[in-house]
Amino acid sequence: MPQAVELERVERLTEKETLFAFSPPEGFVFQPGQFLMVGLPGYGEAPISISSPPSDRKDVELCIRRVGSLTTILHRLQRGDALWIRGPFGRGFPVEKMHRRDILFIAGGIGLVPLRSLIKEVLSSRRGYGHLTLLYGVKSPEEILFEEELERWQKEGMDVRLTIDRAHPGWKGNVGVVTTLVPRVEMDEKNTVCCIVGPSVMYKYVILSLGNRSMRGEDIYLSLERKMKCGMGKCGHCQINSIYTCEEGPVFSLQEIRHLPEAI
Amino acid sequence: MAGYFVDRRGFRSFVKGLVERYLLYGTTLQEGFPVFKKIETPEELVLSSTPTHLSPKEFLFPPEELLLRFSLEDGRGEPVVDAPEQVLMGLHPCDIHAIGLLDRVFSHGTGDVNYIERRRRTILIGTECLPDEYCFCHSMGTMDAEEGFDLFFHELKRGYLVRVGTERGRRLLERYSKPARADRTHLEEMRTHREKKLESFVRSIYARREELPLVYAGSYEHPVWERIGSRCYGCGSCNHVCPTCYCFDIRDDVTLDLKEAHRYRVWDGCTLEDFAKVAGGHNFRRHRSERLRHRFNRKFRYLADRFDGLFCVGCGRCSRTCLVGINITDVTNELIRDARS
Repeated sequence: MPQAVELERVERLTEKETLFAFSPPEGFVFQPGQFLMVGLPGYGEAPISISSPPSDRKDVELCIRRVGSLTTILHRLQRGDALWIRGPFGRGFPVEKMHRRDILFIAGGIGLVPLRSLIKEVLSSRRGYGHLTLLYGVKSPEEILFEEELERWQKEGMDVRLTIDRAHPGWKGNVGVVTTLVPRVEMDEKNTVCCIVGPSVMYKYVILSLGNRSMRGEDIYLSLERKMKCGMGKCGHCQINSIYTCEEGPVFSLQEIRHLPEAI
Repeated sequence: MAGYFVDRRGFRSFVKGLVERYLLYGTTLQEGFPVFKKIETPEELVLSSTPTHLSPKEFLFPPEELLLRFSLEDGRGEPVVDAPEQVLMGLHPCDIHAIGLLDRVFSHGTGDVNYIERRRRTILIGTECLPDEYCFCHSMGTMDAEEGFDLFFHELKRGYLVRVGTERGRRLLERYSKPARADRTHLEEMRTHREKKLESFVRSIYARREELPLVYAGSYEHPVWERIGSRCYGCGSCNHVCPTCYCFDIRDDVTLDLKEAHRYRVWDGCTLEDFAKVAGGHNFRRHRSERLRHRFNRKFRYLADRFDGLFCVGCGRCSRTCLVGINITDVTNELIRDARS
């Protein structure tokens, strides 16, 4: 049974993305990378990643892209309106395994949304980690999400590098898909954990470029998007070969999914 | 084995008792074919030795089931569990095995309250059968049902030998008929029928079923997927009739007076085009060959580890219904043959 939460903040981020914030209901505990089934009675539900960190006890934030019929309706919601949630579901990023290590975050487009939860969690105890790098690729400058936060993260000790897919008037930064940034990152491969979230087409190329840098499969984590209806390992939509993404994922190590031809 | 004998008159009185007291779904003939439907008079019930086209899963996992009801006036929502006390009669051993698999699925992890409640209030009564040209349960270990039913009827010349699976079943039998102890001749007649059944199969799978997950694992790139994928219409009929296909979609609707919103689930099928398509348009199994491969692998491999059992019970329904004649035994035997060569 979903529960209703009251939206305390609704913030338009870009033309397509809106941020929704509400207070965590009692007993609400989650890991970065987990998701909620978010819906409205009469319109349906969709799986949405939590975008705020567990260390934020005040707000739970969801960044939702307007892409289908449900999300179009969600984008009409305002402060004070009710949003219905179930969850959190699935398995998130294993933050405990990242302590003291360097972390390379790679985000493609809206992939920054689930990664933001992890990034902010890590930055909230910055000294517990080594070198932090974020490679973030978007199609064009107006799609950059959380621009002010990116600057703040840079100041808080993370090396933030942006790239856009194609040259754009006024853009002075990197141009090219996010993969092009990988060879230029200085890193200690043995001590680095890599966390990747982006569209499905991105994974193959990013993993190839990391493989060239002799990263190990158990140090590479990625979050896989699939259609989901129940969130409880039953409806079948999120199945990748033998596994159910909603229960065993959405975050996997590369090691865990290497043998699954449907994964990436 | 504790068995009872019920003569024909006892059987009629048993069915009459069920019709009067319970919501009874059983097999009857419709245009000459056996189907499960609501039985309202004892005469309607016809135990069929050949399989029904549709499986009985719809009585435990309805094609459309209301799960939640929301008031759009006061913003409240409530779960809906509609679980009538009911009897399913005329289940073949494959159906009983299939229900056992669905029990595992819906009680796995966070249990599905709607299924579990419905199942708890459903009495299962089996009956013996004979294979048609699509059946292959003898290859899947599902030819006999030793458990998973309340009562099981074996038709004999002069009546029925009844096996009792649960105390609830025994009470039911005793309340509505006058069962006698089955004697040696009854048991012998039952065994003779079983031998006849075993000899009647025209379809088999030519490997031990323990080997099938490995055969499928090694056949991921086999040309058969492209070949049957190019014939498949992607119509979902195989999912629809399969007694162990349980995938579903969740949909929302608003009542015409705009006072209530309903969230309900409907059957879905992994061979349908949109099954793995996400918002934005990316389809993780775009080709029919990929979707068929997925379905076959679910039956013989993917779900085997998760639920400790193959998800094909050999009923042959998918092959019987397939518009383009894709036969699950032919496909599996081809994979077996090539795995061995």
